[in-house]
Amino acid sequence: MYSEALEKIFHSEDIHLGDTVKLTVKGKNYEGILMQRPESGDSSIVIIKLKNGYNIGVKFSKDSTIKKIRGGAPMVSEGKGLKFDGSLGRVELLYTGGTIGSKVDYLTGGVHMLTKPEELLDSIPEIAGIANIRLRQLMSIASEDISYLEWQNIAKSAADSFNDGARGILITHGTDTMHYTSAALSFMLKNLSGPVVMVGAQRSPDRGSSDAFMNMVCGAHIAANSDAAEVGVCMHASSSDDFCNFIRGTHVRKLHTSRRDAFQAVNNKPIARVGTGGRIEYLSNYKRASGEREKVNAVVGFDPKVAMIKVHPNSDPDILEYYHGKGYKGAIIEGTGLGHAPVSTEHKQFNWLGGIEKAVDDGMIIGMTSQCVNGRVNYKVYRNLRLIKNAGAIFCEDMMPEVAYVKLGWLLGNYRKDEAAKMLPQNLVGEISKRSEVDWFGENNAQ
Amino acid sequence: MHSEDYYSKLGFKCGLEIHQRLATEEKLFCSCKANLAGDRAIQSIERRQRAVAGELGVIDESTMFESRKERKFIYHLYRDTTCLVDMDEEPPHDLNAQALEISLLISKSLNCSIPDEIEPMRKGVVDGSDTSAFQRTMLCGYEGSIEVDGRQIEIPSIFLEEESSAILGNSASEVVYGVDRLGIPLIEIDTDPVIATPQEAKRVAMKIGLLLRLTGKVQRGIGSIRQDVNVSIKGGARVEVKGLQEIDSVDEIIDNEVERQAKLIEISKELRSRGAAVGSPKELTGIFKHTGAKIIGDQVWQGNSVFGVRLHGFRGLLGKEINPRMRLGSEISDYAKMAEVKGIIHSDENLDSYKLSGKEIGEVKSALEMQEGDSFILIAERRERCEKAMALAVMRARMAIDGVPSETRGADSRNKTTRFLRPIPGGSRMYPETDARPAETAAPQKKMGSRVIDIEAIRKSLLKEIKNKQLAEQMLWSKDMPLYEEVVEKTNADPMVVASVILEKFRELARAGVAVDSISGDALEYIFKKYVKKNITRLGIEEILRLAPKERWEVDRIIKDKKLERLPGAELRKMVNQLKGKNRNEIMREIMSRHRLVIDGDELNALLK
Repeated sequence: MYSEALEKIFHSEDIHLGDTVKLTVKGKNYEGILMQRPESGDSSIVIIKLKNGYNIGVKFSKDSTIKKIRGGAPMVSEGKGLKFDGSLGRVELLYTGGTIGSKVDYLTGGVHMLTKPEELLDSIPEIAGIANIRLRQLMSIASEDISYLEWQNIAKSAADSFNDGARGILITHGTDTMHYTSAALSFMLKNLSGPVVMVGAQRSPDRGSSDAFMNMVCGAHIAANSDAAEVGVCMHASSSDDFCNFIRGTHVRKLHTSRRDAFQAVNNKPIARVGTGGRIEYLSNYKRASGEREKVNAVVGFDPKVAMIKVHPNSDPDILEYYHGKGYKGAIIEGTGLGHAPVSTEHKQFNWLGGIEKAVDDGMIIGMTSQCVNGRVNYKVYRNLRLIKNAGAIFCEDMMPEVAYVKLGWLLGNYRKDEAAKMLPQNLVGEISKRSEVDWFGENNAQ
Repeated sequence: MHSEDYYSKLGFKCGLEIHQRLATEEKLFCSCKANLAGDRAIQSIERRQRAVAGELGVIDESTMFESRKERKFIYHLYRDTTCLVDMDEEPPHDLNAQALEISLLISKSLNCSIPDEIEPMRKGVVDGSDTSAFQRTMLCGYEGSIEVDGRQIEIPSIFLEEESSAILGNSASEVVYGVDRLGIPLIEIDTDPVIATPQEAKRVAMKIGLLLRLTGKVQRGIGSIRQDVNVSIKGGARVEVKGLQEIDSVDEIIDNEVERQAKLIEISKELRSRGAAVGSPKELTGIFKHTGAKIIGDQVWQGNSVFGVRLHGFRGLLGKEINPRMRLGSEISDYAKMAEVKGIIHSDENLDSYKLSGKEIGEVKSALEMQEGDSFILIAERRERCEKAMALAVMRARMAIDGVPSETRGADSRNKTTRFLRPIPGGSRMYPETDARPAETAAPQKKMGSRVIDIEAIRKSLLKEIKNKQLAEQMLWSKDMPLYEEVVEKTNADPMVVASVILEKFRELARAGVAVDSISGDALEYIFKKYVKKNITRLGIEEILRLAPKERWEVDRIIKDKKLERLPGAELRKMVNQLKGKNRNEIMREIMSRHRLVIDGDELNALLK
């Protein structure tokens, strides 16, 4: 981002990013390629890539001049495309964007989404020996910008692909909201005939150390060879490049901002662990493909008028009224501990009981989950919990708040309100477990 | 030692790259400790890296070369010196301001211009020494120079960058790295290739090293400074020699590299005049089914393969010595070894020593359709390795016809020669570090003011203090100068005495087997304080140092045990009075012979006047 004054000069000199220019400042000449400026810093400092490959920042002042020497070559997107083997399992790769689909524009220094997703496959040639992949670019967006409209698009495309003969689906996705999408697909896709595998990257594939390569390879192994008929996320199991975990879509969460093993199973064990060589070791029970090919359906109704509310000390229950006023039909509360919200009679302004009661009376569905992330909510242990339950909140068992949120939106988009309220605490697709197994948490959780 | 004229006739071109670790508290882009504590690893991780397209859309040659090895990298992680940034698991934090200031001070002291804004870059590294597969580096000074013995040596650029991880182990399939070293601030100073002789290269390196040391802000000790040298001669090629840690052998190693290039040029001329060519590798495993040559037989017995290639017109040249203990054959072998084979067999060697039969050699020759004047190379190993190694050997043999390949070579400090490491990196491995913000230099420059390290000024002030030209010059170049400065400043002792003790006495005692390195700065300071207070004599200092004290109380105990307390003036006068009647020399001799260590000679002299 250069200053307006500089942009003007560039314009009048017909200079574009990537052009080779000669910059003269205080009698000194700098020749090199004009680079993009990041959003921060002094916007009157011109960044030039010198012949030795280094960039230098030179402050442009009154007496400075900049002249074009020659135009730059536009960045070439190679995208040669790999040749795939028809005898291998047919896998549809649905490309949606995210870090796994971004790279640096070496010419100008900007980070872009790939214009040709084939480039990603080109850098992983061994994938052609794992699966017969057909690539479909659905979109090219960062995961923070993904909405239920994209979930619907992805779900429909996945169903179409299965019905068109794919045995498995591989979906590349930004990591930040990947676990929301995986939950949405888990509810939306019915009669799955094979695995739906979501992969992402915490390091962009323009770096030799990117986790994208191994995640793609392991994801392709699952999509091409596993008999699981489930939606899951396949990402690094540890900081090492040796195994990935394939984790159920309704029990996976991004638990670290930047590590490559950020995705971990919550209230569950991974379905499988998979090595780069293709060895799949199943770690828990999973739904198998029936063998008979039924039509895969995408039930994609979704009502976005569902809120997620986190209670905390001093939190104001009036927020419920606000949402109701805005036409919201439901809310998932991230309660504390076993599913608490403040019910103090001493500080009436912080007491949520009346708010919940009113919201339910007004027709909203209020689900209670826990911000502990791990574990199950329970309304029977303390009186205060029973008060919340009696106010009309539905306790959502061992569903993570995000999963309960996606589920409620999906239920309201496809069922009557009373049905939705009934189904919220019932297991539909493996999102609720009756038992909490011993090694799902803590040191025993050998993920 | 050759004359300058000799090198100029050869078309000798030489430039230096000096890498020096900075002495900062924290690493360049995170808050890990920047000193190597030698702790035990608390964890290790395993990574693989692959070549990615460089900024011009092509995969750099040296990048491909490392990636071809398909090795696994094991990284050892440490409590205080490793964090997620070093593991490539967290984006870099802000640029270390202390490191930036030191590098600006060095840049200015080397007469460099400073960029208005410093732009962090990523430089591709695929040997695994960086967990991220790139090194963060930035230009912090340009168009500088240094004067060495009256000649101006241009310094086109100075970079501030991250130190790489240290190799802890190396095997066929994996490399083990210690991540404690990764990310320590490192400054790289490059000179233009204008250095006229290997001896000048050494002097330039020494002078830059001196300037760095005089900042007082650089790490010391083994490995904290490294010189890389770029060498070429007319008709040769740019060869980057890495890892010259001992400055003393810089000139000798360069001389051998010059010799190597000259010999390779000779060989290439000869090969071309013979119309030399390199054939295509063929599998020859069948010939060796029942061989008595153990080195091949063992491989065949394990089900591995033997490949051979004909080198047309190479006869006699593979065995030609190009450096002490190095032949063209060893250069080809070094390439093949990159594919994890033990080596090659070639026909310029004494094949009897391998126990290859005449029949087998005959069959190889006919299978490869060899003619008079040809040579062959054999490699035996697991099939895929064997094929890879053969491809590399063929590549190197072809290069021999062209002349000198452009390579990165490692210094072999024992033989004072160089060994092949990898092809020289091209220029297409740099792109912006988009995770780190550019750093403006106006504010740190303002804070630093006009301070620069001026070697001449320091030389003059040392001479003024020490009053002895030779000692002052020695002190300027000594790694113990900070110790000298500290002792003089804190004790007010005569600088000449301090300099003489640190430079001369220390060396003398070290030769006598005293562990002078274990004498602590604090103990030394205490000793000189006692000297200034006239509690001990100058000879007493030496006696104390002989026992290498580390603590103040040890100094006190040595003085007590060895009775080194200086005799008070009154007592000395008494002694002189008792010897009245004897002549001056007799008195002197008598007193000194008994109380040499506790009497100041000058004081006695004065009394006798």
